[in-house]
Amino acid sequence: MAELIAAPQAPAQIAPPAEKSAGYWRSVWRRLRRDKVAMTAGTILVLIFLMSLFATFLAPSDPYARNVANRLAGIGTPGNPLGTDDLGRDMLSRLIWGGQLSLLMGVAPVFIAFFFGSALGIIAGYAGGLTNTLIMRTVDIFYAFPSVLLAVALSGALGAGLFNAMFSLTVVFIPPIARVSESVTTQLKSSDFIEAAKASGASALTILRVHVLGNVLGPIFVYSTSLIAVSMILAAGLSFLGLGVQPPFPEWGQMLNALRNAMYVQPLVTALPGVMIFLVSISFNLLSDGLRSAMEVRT
Amino acid sequence: MSYARYSRQRVSMAILAGTTAFVAPAAAVAEESVLRIGMTAGDIPLTHGQPDQGFEGNRFTGIPIYDALTQWDLSQEDEPSTLMPGLATSWEIDPEDDTRWIFELREGVTYHDGSEFTAEDVVWNVEKVLDEDAEHFDASQVGVTASRMPTLRSAEVIDDYTVALYTSEPDSFLPINLTNLFMASPDHWAEKYDETGDSDEAWSEFAADPSGSGPFRVTGFTARERLELQPNDAYWDDARTPTIDRVVMRPMPDANSRTAALLSGEVDWIEAPAPDAMAQMEGQGFVIYSNPQPHVWPWQFSFLDDSPWLDREVRHAANLCVDREELSVLLNGHMGIPQGTVGPDHPWWGDPDFEIRYDPDTARELMEEVGYSSDDPVEVRVQTSASGSGQMQPLVMNEYLQDALAECYFDVELDVIEWNTLFTNWREGADASSANDAHAINVTFATMDPFFAMVRFLSSDAHPPVSNNWGYFTDDEFDDLIAQARTTFDPDERDEALGQLHKRKVEEAPFLWVAHDAGPRAMSPSVGNVVQPQSWFIDIATMTME
Amino acid sequence: MFAYAIQRILYTLPVMLGVSVVCFALVHIAPGDPLISILPPDASSELQERLRILYGFDRSYVEQFFMWLARVLQGDLGTSIASGRSVTLEVSRAVGNTLMLAAVATVLGFTLGCLFGFVAGYFSNSPLDKLASAAAVFGVSVPHYWLGIVLVIVFSVGLGWFPSSGAGPGGSANWRFDYEHALYLVLPAITMAVIPMGIVARTVRALVADILAQEFVIGLRARGLGQFHVFLHVVKNAAPTALAVMGVQMGYLLGGSILIEVVFSWPGTGMLLNTAIFQRDLPLLQGTILVLATFFVVLNLLVDLLQTALDPRIKR
Repeated sequence: MAELIAAPQAPAQIAPPAEKSAGYWRSVWRRLRRDKVAMTAGTILVLIFLMSLFATFLAPSDPYARNVANRLAGIGTPGNPLGTDDLGRDMLSRLIWGGQLSLLMGVAPVFIAFFFGSALGIIAGYAGGLTNTLIMRTVDIFYAFPSVLLAVALSGALGAGLFNAMFSLTVVFIPPIARVSESVTTQLKSSDFIEAAKASGASALTILRVHVLGNVLGPIFVYSTSLIAVSMILAAGLSFLGLGVQPPFPEWGQMLNALRNAMYVQPLVTALPGVMIFLVSISFNLLSDGLRSAMEVRT
Repeated sequence: MSYARYSRQRVSMAILAGTTAFVAPAAAVAEESVLRIGMTAGDIPLTHGQPDQGFEGNRFTGIPIYDALTQWDLSQEDEPSTLMPGLATSWEIDPEDDTRWIFELREGVTYHDGSEFTAEDVVWNVEKVLDEDAEHFDASQVGVTASRMPTLRSAEVIDDYTVALYTSEPDSFLPINLTNLFMASPDHWAEKYDETGDSDEAWSEFAADPSGSGPFRVTGFTARERLELQPNDAYWDDARTPTIDRVVMRPMPDANSRTAALLSGEVDWIEAPAPDAMAQMEGQGFVIYSNPQPHVWPWQFSFLDDSPWLDREVRHAANLCVDREELSVLLNGHMGIPQGTVGPDHPWWGDPDFEIRYDPDTARELMEEVGYSSDDPVEVRVQTSASGSGQMQPLVMNEYLQDALAECYFDVELDVIEWNTLFTNWREGADASSANDAHAINVTFATMDPFFAMVRFLSSDAHPPVSNNWGYFTDDEFDDLIAQARTTFDPDERDEALGQLHKRKVEEAPFLWVAHDAGPRAMSPSVGNVVQPQSWFIDIATMTME
Repeated sequence: MFAYAIQRILYTLPVMLGVSVVCFALVHIAPGDPLISILPPDASSELQERLRILYGFDRSYVEQFFMWLARVLQGDLGTSIASGRSVTLEVSRAVGNTLMLAAVATVLGFTLGCLFGFVAGYFSNSPLDKLASAAAVFGVSVPHYWLGIVLVIVFSVGLGWFPSSGAGPGGSANWRFDYEHALYLVLPAITMAVIPMGIVARTVRALVADILAQEFVIGLRARGLGQFHVFLHVVKNAAPTALAVMGVQMGYLLGGSILIEVVFSWPGTGMLLNTAIFQRDLPLLQGTILVLATFFVVLNLLVDLLQTALDPRIKR
């Protein structure tokens, strides 16, 4: 799972620093639009996000309403098109509602880590010297833990729960993002146009805001989208170990875990939460691939 | 200790000789019967004589390997399991001192290492957990042991086969408590001590190569993976001398892995199969055994000022509002239906005037008397966990209760927390911040021992943090009944006193009694002579294997 | 190169110190009583206090840290609260089992990953590429622990081809490298190999495509040199990075095996960690994490040094 973090997107593979204009982004979008796979993945993600957002209107029934007499009903049961779970709750409604917590747990830590990690990395990269050493060596300590281990250890020590799980995941994702940001910023700092800006007497803040942020955040963002795929699986894994969202709230990882023992009774129904996790994860991976190749222009 | 070493050598020589003499020529190896068990524990329960992992520990690494002074009769399925002689043949309170017990010991019992069991060994085994100055005192055994015999203080040799035990206060429950004090071989420990020169290491070595006097001896131990037992052919009770050649126990905490291991034939017996996998197991010819255990799955109520449970009518209404038969369907029927902490056939029953049953009409009437209605329900908050030892299927069951109680004007909110945290909170009380304003807590418990079954929830001496009177139930009448039971030494009269306590407990209903665990286990049809008693324990020694 | 190696090795020292602080702190951010696992429900506060002193939990954090560190440096990771056994012994035994599983999974993942990646990169944009890339992205997107459960149901329960759990019929203590025991490795190793397979395949595909697009290679082809030369050139240039990725992956597998070991009851560090968490056995938790993190740091160091030595392009 989070083994994915390290190797494939070594900083060298992030788009080389070059001044990017509005025209550049327009051309990225144009190329991305031609990428059918990435567009399909993006569409699926938008649909799943909308589905979760509007769960109130979309879910056919109450995701908490139990009907013991009708437990573990199969796919295609009248009234429960995707069957029911071990308490006779409607699977379709729970899957729709489950998107909220699952996406929150999978996406939010990466976003928070994106914010803190890139801030740390850009500051370290731009400031250099002692600041860089202090920040990056601290980051290195956390980077010295395999990510699954760190997430499990942290949430294991803190105790189960949504908040603790999200906190652990955030801690896991800050170091890789910080490292990538630092490396991109350091490369950028020595590039011609920053030198030019410095020579023209622009303040450090202006340079950071106008030149650095604009050029660094893009690649880091793309990198982060690939981390979301990892985060989704890792979050579900924490729930699987009983360290994530606690029932009765619907969350895909937790649903997958709770229905494990019913696999012999209703294999298809119990697989559905796993399919949702897979769908989101693979879509983020494909979208991230598409974004990267759309941004990777050799000029 | 040279004698012990000598005798042990002799024994192992004898075993060696026996093995070569009988097994090799007969080529009986192929016929060897092996019983493989998948336990729910995450690790092999401690093997040095005082097992951890709750009562699953006593079940698998206590009773088969060791004996205690008193033991449970596990040969009956139809009636509650009762106390019977073990290494002690009889016991009585000293007529002149009601804190001094006299135990007559069984003669001719030997440990697996060949040394003989005497009164000195009882003293030694009491000291291992209660005498900090003793060389063999082991702090790690104190936790699981001392609490199960809270009043035991010391022991004294009277003669080779008579021993006196002292309690801090008169306590008629002591003989029951003593089922938890297993007799480890002092000679064998001394041998380990001679080898290592350190008490802790000696215990650690002892655990890897234990010696008790039970029907099985340990022949293989791989920490966290596998424990192998073989029969102790010199066992003192012929009826319990095992016929199975080898028993292998494996820790398998994940229910799904246990199911897969059973279905694919890697083990012959698993503990606590998931209810939803039982149909598959039975379909493949496996047998599900279950029998109500001395166990209660309750909501324990708060009696603090803000608690909605202060009205007895409300407590009764909740008890009348749950259709336990229907709940049992969720558990595939593997659940006992409670009428109190113990049932009508139990010596502590006491025939209470309040009958726990399903009667929602009466429940609603009671609620209306107090002033609640469907428009004005009572809000209650319950703290529970998603899993945990003895918790059965906590979420399924609590969510069912939430639904059921709504019919009787209860608006139930569940506060689901992690099992270990819940267990810690149980000791901190309803007024602690950890209780998160809950009015009831859902922690299950064993009821073999009157202290654990009743006293710790009802006595005003058991308020947190001393013990588990989580809700601060306080009533002088109950304190008197408890004192009465504790100081009544005739077993029948003591049970009668406990009956009085139980009667009043059910009538006052400081609990919502929901279920008794039936301790389901799934076994291969080739395991024979399985007696599943009404107990947390089961006797492996008498089983057979095809 | 030599100076770089020394510098790189020295640099791991402060990292390791930091790692040990984090491991130590883990125990102390944990809510609740560290002795909860051995404290019975009705332990008196007096008993609690006595045990607290016996286990050294009554001292200050700083004091506890240095006492702990001093012992750790002598190879003593303390005593498991739940089992009373030495954590060093427990972890070393478990690490061996996890190492074996991770090694098999790494080899499997690397072989398949290279195969898929190479095919995809070499025949870029062909249907073969699509298929191999799909397998790779599947590998990094599937919840692998769940895949493991499905494999057990199909291949152990349904078909009875492979055992579902444990490390051999006699436990890991009686492990032998023979056919009967190897069967026990099959399902967990396949499950574990899925992610590295995906990652290696994606990396190799990108590498191969990159190398093939180099002017030099285009030149080779233009000069009419055989496919074989091109192939050799690609392998030579892709190997260092691919190997480095594999090395790092193995580190991740060591540390990330918890879910798979739980599903397959594999007696490794992951199971140990899981037990430690649920029994709240904090010394065991601390010790296991420290050992795994150390392995990871050392492995990364080795990979780094090896890659520097192998790859002519990296000048340090």
